[in-house]
Order: sequence, then structure tokens, then C-alpha cells
Amino acid sequence: MFDHIDPRSPNPLYAQIAARVRVAVAAGSLRPGDALPSVRQLASRLRVNPATVVQAYRELEADGFVELRQGAGTFVREVRAARRAGERAPQAATVVRRMVAEAGRIGVSVDELHAAIADEIGVKAP
Amino acid sequence: MTNAVEIHELDYRAGKSFAIQDLDLTVPTGSIYGFLGPNGSGKTTTIRLILGLLRARAGTIQVLGEPMPLCAPTVLARVGFVPEQPHLDPTLTVRETMRFRAAFYAKWDGGWAEQLLHTFDLDPDHLFGKLSKGQKGKVMMLLALAQRPELLVLDEPTDGLDPVVRRDMLSALIDYVSQHGASVFISSHLVHELERMCDWIGVMDNGRLVSHMPMEQFKNGIKRLLVSEAPADAGSAPFAVLARDRNGAASETWLVRGWESGMTTWFDGHGASVQSIVDLDLEDGFVELLRTFRRAAHGQEVL
Repeated sequence: MFDHIDPRSPNPLYAQIAARVRVAVAAGSLRPGDALPSVRQLASRLRVNPATVVQAYRELEADGFVELRQGAGTFVREVRAARRAGERAPQAATVVRRMVAEAGRIGVSVDELHAAIADEIGVKAP
Repeated sequence: MTNAVEIHELDYRAGKSFAIQDLDLTVPTGSIYGFLGPNGSGKTTTIRLILGLLRARAGTIQVLGEPMPLCAPTVLARVGFVPEQPHLDPTLTVRETMRFRAAFYAKWDGGWAEQLLHTFDLDPDHLFGKLSKGQKGKVMMLLALAQRPELLVLDEPTDGLDPVVRRDMLSALIDYVSQHGASVFISSHLVHELERMCDWIGVMDNGRLVSHMPMEQFKNGIKRLLVSEAPADAGSAPFAVLARDRNGAASETWLVRGWESGMTTWFDGHGASVQSIVDLDLEDGFVELLRTFRRAAHGQEVL
């Protein structure tokens, strides 16, 4: 779930980690009551600053996605289905924003981008 | 104690050609401080000064709250050091090397040393001199961590090692730091590794610290802008223009520092417009910073 974080991205690492958890909750691969890896485990696995993981978990806690139980760890909270679906929309917007910016940088037009997306989805769909 | 390392107005000279001048450097306690700079910029010299291995001509160095090199014996007992080149007896086995090292450190954690031996997949009966480069690197990291230091000083610990070894070493380092809250001062040319771990960045060039700030600020502050109808005079801009290059008749690429969102309005007020804003990663930012610093140092005008 955390394997493809990108330290070179302008999107800060803590935000990338938090986003991974949100998507996993939205997609149902993390369920209420599931434990997140400890700060020590995740920081060491990703070779990132422990403070970065703490910051990600705090943000998730503030958003109501997880709860920090003192001494026990960090656990996924019950998130309503509507909220879970709603969480995917901003994720999609982020993906598109990044894509459009990159397209602009290399001189790809909006029409060409549309065509490429349709093409890609057409190929990938069963 | 708020700073693990504090250097003030340090002056060091080696011969006529090399000098560290007027160095002020602070490593906040609990931070992971990435120390960047080209070869020969003075990184290793600075590290050796911090450890009391060299003597400065002027200035002060405090490490873990105590003056160096005056308090070297007590300070070094609390500092783990991984040098660029391992300098251990090649005729001792890994186990003997560990026993030898343990004798010098009161806080030596034998249990954890055994665990690291296993994690790093090292054979304790092998001679140090016969180990591969990667295995030597792991032994050096093991020795530095098992003494349970409050500060780790790492001089290019993973440079030249394969990615699997690098991962193992840095994972062990981060594991230690998250448990014990130790501070880390690490120099490396592997910029992307520092970009993951560090919350502070210092850049050396030619014996001077040319930049020193939190990582986020370093990464966010430098942008590449594509500007159309660029104004000739950028003197009133709320950001610093490090470099500008003409792309064609009506468009220029600007490299700016101290950028904040909303500053595009300055261009609007000067009949120009920003076509795109490109974020730079740490490596790009580092390279651009050095390029502009050197241009300034050579007396050329930095626009």
C-alpha cells in the first residue's frame, strides 16, 4: 500500500502517506478496527523521517479516518460509505490536476489528452 | 539543550588553497540533517571539526551542549560516527571488532548488536578485511548504532554501495532514530535518499555554507517559471531571481527563490504573465543553487 511514495514529488511525503491510507479505506482494503503500521515500522520500511509518519497519522486523525489509542497504536475508524465514495472524488481531481500540468509542460493539447485517456481506458477495460 | 550541533564563526585553514570561512551551522536536536555539497566543498572537513579531529583557527563548536574539542572524550562517548572509509583492523573478525568496540562504550547494547548482525546478514566469524564493501558498511553502521548514541554523524555512509545494502542500513538507522529520538547529521551525494529522510538541509560549496533551512522550505521555495512578456527589471519582485534564460521572442524561463503562491500577481502588474510554475526536486534545487552561487562568486551578475 505504501510502496510507491515519491520523495521527488512536490506533494509532501506526509500527504502522500495519508492519501494512501485514505484510498485504502475508501476502497475497503483497510477496514474499521484494522491497525496501521507503527510509526517506527513504517518510517523504517519507507526510510523516511519518523516525524513525517507522525504528521500523516495526525492528519488522518484530524480527518476522522483513524484514531490514535495511547500505547496501543493507530486504528482505522468506522467511515460511512457515502464519505468513502466522497473521498475518491478529490483523489481523482488530484490525479487529473497533475496530469494536466504535466501535459501543459510538454505541450500536449487538451484534445490530445482527452483522446489519450479514452484510448487508455478503452484498452484497459475488459 | 535545543541543538545537537552548534557552530559559530568557525575558521579553518589547510594550506593556502583550502579554507572553511565564517561557518555558522546548527543541527536542531532530534532532526535528521542532510549535508550536501560537491566533492572538495568541505563536508568531510566540517565533520572532522565537529568530532574534534581537527582544530579550528577561530570560532566555537558545541556538540550535545559541550564545547569541542575541549570535551571530546565525554562528547564522543555519546556520538556514533560512520566515516567515509572504514578504518578498522582487517585482521580481526566481525565478532572481535564488536567486542573491541563495546569496551569503549558504557551504553553498548549487546542484544541489539546481535539482532543487527542477523538483520544485516553478517557472519561474525569473517575477518573484517575480507568483507565486501557493502558488508563493511553494514559493520560500521552496526558499531555506530549499538553504542546507543544521542547523535549520529555519518559521512557518505551509503555512497558506492548497492541499493539493497543501502536500504538495510538506512532502515536500521531510521528504526533507531524513531525509538530513541537521536539526532542525525548525514552527508551524501545520494540526494534522493536525503530527500526522503531529512527535515533540514545544509549546502556547502567551496568552504562556505551557502544554504541552510528546513527541507520543506528548501523544496517549496525554489521554482522554475515560464514567463511571457517578461519585464526587463525584476528589482521590485517579492522573490529573488536566481537566473533567467530567453526561450524565444516573447518567453523566458526564470529560476526564482523565496516563491510563495499568489506572487503571480507581481507579473500581472508588469504586463507579463506566468505560463507555468514547475516545482524542483531536491537534486534540481541543489544543482541550481550551486550554479547561481558560483556565478555570483565569480563576480558575474546574478540577475
